[in-house]
Amino acid sequence: MSAPINNTTSILTQTVAKLLLLPTFVAAFAILVKGYAQPGDGFSAGVVASLGVLLQYLVLGRREAERLVTVRNAPTIAGAGLLLSLSVAVVPLFLGDPVLTHYPRPGEDVVYLGTLELITPVLFDLGIFFLVFGFAVGAIGAFARTISEQEEYAGPGTEQLEDDT
Amino acid sequence: MTPPATLMVLLPLVLALLAAPAAMLAGVYRPRLAAPVGTAFAALAFSATALAWWKGGGAVNVAWAPTWDLRFHVALDGLAALYALLATGVGFLVLVYSSRYLPLHLGHGDRPESEGTRFYGHMLLFMGAMVGLAMAQDLVLLFLFWDLTAIASYYLIAFDRHDAEARAAALMALLVTGVTAVLLLIGALILYSAYGTFSVPELAELVEPGPLLNAAGLLIAVAALAKSAQVPLHFWLPRAMAAPTPVSAYLHSAAMVAAGVLLLGRVYPLLQESRILLDTLLVVGLLSMAVGGVLALTQDVLKQLLAYSTISQYGYVVFLYGLGGEYGAVGAAFYVIAHALAKCALFLTAGAVTEETGEDRLSELGGLRKPLPLLAAASGAASAGLAALPLTIGFFKDELLFGAALARGPLFAGAAVLGAALTLAYAWRFWAGIFLGERRDGASNPPAALVWPVVALGGLVLLGGLWVEPFARLAEAAGEVIYDAPASIEPAYHLDLRPENLMALATFVLGALLIFSRPVWVGAARGVAWVGGKVGPERLYESSIEGLNRFSDRIHRAEVRDLRSRVAAILLPAGVLVGLGILVTPTDGVYRAGEVGWHDVPLLLALVAVTLATLASTLTRRHVTLALVFSSAGYVLAALYAFLGAPDVALVAVLIETLVTLLFIATLKLIPYKVLHRQAELPLRLTRRKVYISVVAGAFAFAVAWGTLSQPAAESSTAEELIALAPEAHAKDVVTVILADFRGLDTLGEITVVALVLLGVVTLLRGGRLR
Amino acid sequence: MILAISVVIAVVFASGAFLVLQRDLLRVVVGIVLISNSAILFIIAAGLSRGSAPIYPIDEGAVSDPLVQAMALTALVIGSSVAALLLAVVYRLYVSHGSIDIEEIFRMEMREAEELESMNKTELDPEEEEVADERKLEKEEPR
Repeated sequence: MSAPINNTTSILTQTVAKLLLLPTFVAAFAILVKGYAQPGDGFSAGVVASLGVLLQYLVLGRREAERLVTVRNAPTIAGAGLLLSLSVAVVPLFLGDPVLTHYPRPGEDVVYLGTLELITPVLFDLGIFFLVFGFAVGAIGAFARTISEQEEYAGPGTEQLEDDT
Repeated sequence: MTPPATLMVLLPLVLALLAAPAAMLAGVYRPRLAAPVGTAFAALAFSATALAWWKGGGAVNVAWAPTWDLRFHVALDGLAALYALLATGVGFLVLVYSSRYLPLHLGHGDRPESEGTRFYGHMLLFMGAMVGLAMAQDLVLLFLFWDLTAIASYYLIAFDRHDAEARAAALMALLVTGVTAVLLLIGALILYSAYGTFSVPELAELVEPGPLLNAAGLLIAVAALAKSAQVPLHFWLPRAMAAPTPVSAYLHSAAMVAAGVLLLGRVYPLLQESRILLDTLLVVGLLSMAVGGVLALTQDVLKQLLAYSTISQYGYVVFLYGLGGEYGAVGAAFYVIAHALAKCALFLTAGAVTEETGEDRLSELGGLRKPLPLLAAASGAASAGLAALPLTIGFFKDELLFGAALARGPLFAGAAVLGAALTLAYAWRFWAGIFLGERRDGASNPPAALVWPVVALGGLVLLGGLWVEPFARLAEAAGEVIYDAPASIEPAYHLDLRPENLMALATFVLGALLIFSRPVWVGAARGVAWVGGKVGPERLYESSIEGLNRFSDRIHRAEVRDLRSRVAAILLPAGVLVGLGILVTPTDGVYRAGEVGWHDVPLLLALVAVTLATLASTLTRRHVTLALVFSSAGYVLAALYAFLGAPDVALVAVLIETLVTLLFIATLKLIPYKVLHRQAELPLRLTRRKVYISVVAGAFAFAVAWGTLSQPAAESSTAEELIALAPEAHAKDVVTVILADFRGLDTLGEITVVALVLLGVVTLLRGGRLR
Repeated sequence: MILAISVVIAVVFASGAFLVLQRDLLRVVVGIVLISNSAILFIIAAGLSRGSAPIYPIDEGAVSDPLVQAMALTALVIGSSVAALLLAVVYRLYVSHGSIDIEEIFRMEMREAEELESMNKTELDPEEEEVADERKLEKEEPR
């Protein structure tokens, strides 16, 4: 969760952690888009993806983890997710349907991209995914930042632990 | 309606509403740009309003939330055009003035230029809200813009936020106008429940006189009167003078206070159905004329004098509404125009004078006609306009007032003359106090931007005196909307002895008498002001605020004193109530143990594990162990969900448990070991009371859970339906489709909570160390 | 089976209630998490049918009630975010009071309130006080 672990983790662990980030995102994405056919939805996908980021914090330390674009912009991502879900809910109003009408309507044909169904609930779920991901990463980041700030308070001897690797 | 016409009507509103964000954006980019951008938008909005009005106006009426019968119904009728032109036109001049005034004002407090951006943002928001309010035809829409003006005024009055007086004044204005705004909403709802529409024009055709209309109309009128600072809810206005001068000028002439009489005008077709309501307006108007006029004569601070004068001037307007009829309606509209021009000029004069000399009291000022001749002339014209001298637009406002009052009776005519004489006296006092007499203070050459807006307004006042036609036509159009019938007025100079002229003459004589006999009555007037300050409604407001504060302190103290007893106090009665419910319910054969088959063995094992883990969590002392124990309980529960055929829940439960446990451990890391250790070392204190309470709680939870589970309320749930519907929604996982589609609104609420929590967590942690 | 689940719900709830009554704020948070866990178990158990997962293709036979699952999911998410918020609040309390003991924190609060009140009685009105405080803060900020 914080920098001191940095020195104790081996190169191997660090490399594996870095390598794992992308597959985690892919897995999260799979959970998201297959949510309509299998267990899982935007929420679990968001948590899975954020756990991938958490791994970076644990193994590589805060400085390294905060280099990720997603980490720096976590609250923005959360806000964007909320906006996306809200707009999926509101847009039908302008088309003369009740709030949160999903398209295509029952009985209409679904456009497929491979086996992926292109339907608006997926967009709604995507908003939830972004929100939850932003929430989890933002909360983790806030805790991590506070921890390392406290360690900086602790005085000399801890600085070198904060060095970037 | 054709699209271009719709666009024409919407354009003023859109421009006015866009002004605030545009100025804010420009201000974020370069603080210097906020003023020119805002001013340009105000000018654009003014031109758009004028153009649309010239082209004949129009209306836009579209469904907004059809299930609640809410419609977005705006129209650019005469009334809307009048107030929108005032809001944008006066707004434009005030903004020009501010572009020079505000840097000086900020300079006095060593405040950064960027604070000006906030000022322009709120000022333009105010303007946008006023234009919206003027055009709104639907009571709920009206209420929205109404509250928007209250919010904007709150920030503007408290613009000098380091000043406690300004903050208190802003809160007072917000409370007085905001609380009464709720009355407007209640009134609207009463009308809706009776007639099924929020639309004012539709209501005007439907309403019938009766107690229902009286009640609803009274509620709406109270909201309007509070906004227009009428007695007895007038006390917030003089306090609001803590705002920077351009804000006061705008607030008084074209925005906040004008909004009250605008609302009265808008709902006037409803009000005039009820004699009682009109008589109420008559009384309130007369009282405000008297109180405002007398108090204005006693004030020494320039802006205070003007504030009380505003109270009395809007008293006239309300009085005119109360008189009713063609002349009352058109007169009220005309009065608002004349007053707005004159009053705005006088406020801007006060601001310029104070800025130049550093003095804001009449007793410290005098003789400024020499160093500031242009300002003296322009504000002289404005004062003459306020005092209703001939050759100014003000003369006609009083002509209409006298006409309307005469029609009602000699008593009202007398009151009108008396009020007008008071106006003449304090207008003279204001102008003569600043510009005549001995010179007290040196004033240099004032910046042009502080003088020219006053000159422009003064010029308009004079123009209206010479060529009244355009103003009269605008007032007529507004009057027709107010009166809800064709109306026409012919203001003109008549060189004969008609009653109006005699009344005007009487006013001048009486006013002159008042001016010259000042030493005789000034003591009595000050006495009235003193008594008003001691026992007036302001006192009542203050004591009720203090009382509320004390009450909330007491509640807070009681809540904080012993949190655990509070929790117990909630849990125990809840448990007792539930227990009573169980006791009185017939329980014969209700409880079922349920069957246990071989395939349930893993489930039972998991249940045993959960029980052990939670019980262990009550006994652990060290926090890390606690974290591990309670998270293991969570993981086993997740496994349990999987056994119960809920893979979605199981997946999320595992992930959640991981996240919460990690955050818990992170918190442990944040709090020093010493502090944690002290908690862990506390004697376990399995005091009897805690155990007892929790056992009782558990017992009731057991009874409720068992009772509910063995006797479900419904035989079949909607589950089968939902399962059958899932393929229709193009989905295979029924749980996900429920979350995203069937019960999507719940999910929307849920993610809003999550977003709010993120805000809370980041804010709470980012604060770092306090002090 | 119903009886067994009811017992577990009751035990989890009682343990949660017990922890909520503790002085240690972190234990209070754990107690609240446990209570929400018991509620979720209750919701899940309230499903009318029990069987295979409600995911197409659905076999013949019983299917678990999907409605309660959706509700449980919502409850889980809200419960976890509330837990995160509570943890942040506990940290904040520690920062401002140097303690996570509710009784200690309360004693400090009361002392502070009494001090404020005695100051109000002897000195100026609270508004001016506030202004003075703010000015002090403003001065300190540049550092």
